[in-house]
Amino acid sequence: MKTLQVVPDTSQTTATPYDSIWGNPDVPVQAVSGLDQVMLSNDKLFVVMAVALIIWFGLVFFVFRTDRKLDRLERTLNERIAQNEE
Amino acid sequence: MEAKTPSAAVNVPLYRKIRLAVVVWMTVVVLAAFSFGGLWLNIPRINMLEHTARNLYFHVPMWFTMMAIAIVSAYHSFRYLQNGHVIRDVRARAAALLAVVFGILGLVTGSVWAHYTWYEGTNIWWNFDPKQSMAAIQVLIYGAYFVLRSALDDPEKRARIAAVYNLFAFVTVPFLLYVLPRQQDSLHPGAEGNPAFSDITHPIMRFVFYPAIIGFIGVFWLLYTQRVRAAQIQQRLDALDEPEL
Repeated sequence: MKTLQVVPDTSQTTATPYDSIWGNPDVPVQAVSGLDQVMLSNDKLFVVMAVALIIWFGLVFFVFRTDRKLDRLERTLNERIAQNEE
Repeated sequence: MEAKTPSAAVNVPLYRKIRLAVVVWMTVVVLAAFSFGGLWLNIPRINMLEHTARNLYFHVPMWFTMMAIAIVSAYHSFRYLQNGHVIRDVRARAAALLAVVFGILGLVTGSVWAHYTWYEGTNIWWNFDPKQSMAAIQVLIYGAYFVLRSALDDPEKRARIAAVYNLFAFVTVPFLLYVLPRQQDSLHPGAEGNPAFSDITHPIMRFVFYPAIIGFIGVFWLLYTQRVRAAQIQQRLDALDEPEL
């Protein structure tokens, strides 16, 4: 089984410090624990899962909102039909 | 105004065909995005990024989709100003809502990605990277479209002013998402005029990345069409309440 291809670490030599946090040696790095430990395990695959799940739940939330709109429409329609029958 | 029945504005049989295609397409995209193990679509391991390079298939298409949505929304606003058909306003509004949804998803997924790569070992989720800030402003600009709408009571005036604002919002998109972030130092690829696909992005990732963009635009189209259909029913119900001419 082929493993992931390893690319040499160039982050410390070629990276420009674009950011006040990334690559800044003065920012203290804490020991990872709890959730972060899980997220960083398995070559950070769970981060991808988290991102995919966020998108999935976001879209599901939107579908639920659309459903709520349809519920409202059904109620309005029923009211109108009841009015016409009076 | 042409006598087009309101129900004819959405081609439902076509919608169903596209819905099936999008569901199958996205299933393959998700399988491809997570595939590894030596046989198919292996990606190189890059320090710090590692498997999160796969977020290219999820986070980045959010922004491509948002740009596509901006085009759709602006097109309908433009057509509304041309002919004043209510359906154009309905479509522009439905698209703008999804621009906000995809924008927020892009921001949140980006924040999570950054937390476990750029800001690994710190408690930081957001550090005002230029591209992030510009994207956040872009989402706020589309959010303001709804604030503006809610502030106007007269439907015709609301539709017209919202359409003009929406065209303004569209004009800001290429600058906020493309031009300005590239002129500043950013951790995002594409800064300093570099191509967004850097040398370390393995070519094989394009085989999943481009289909993912098409798939997410398809998902947008489904959600958008559902909203348009619902809004149309709403309008036909409202029209029943108006006195007959």
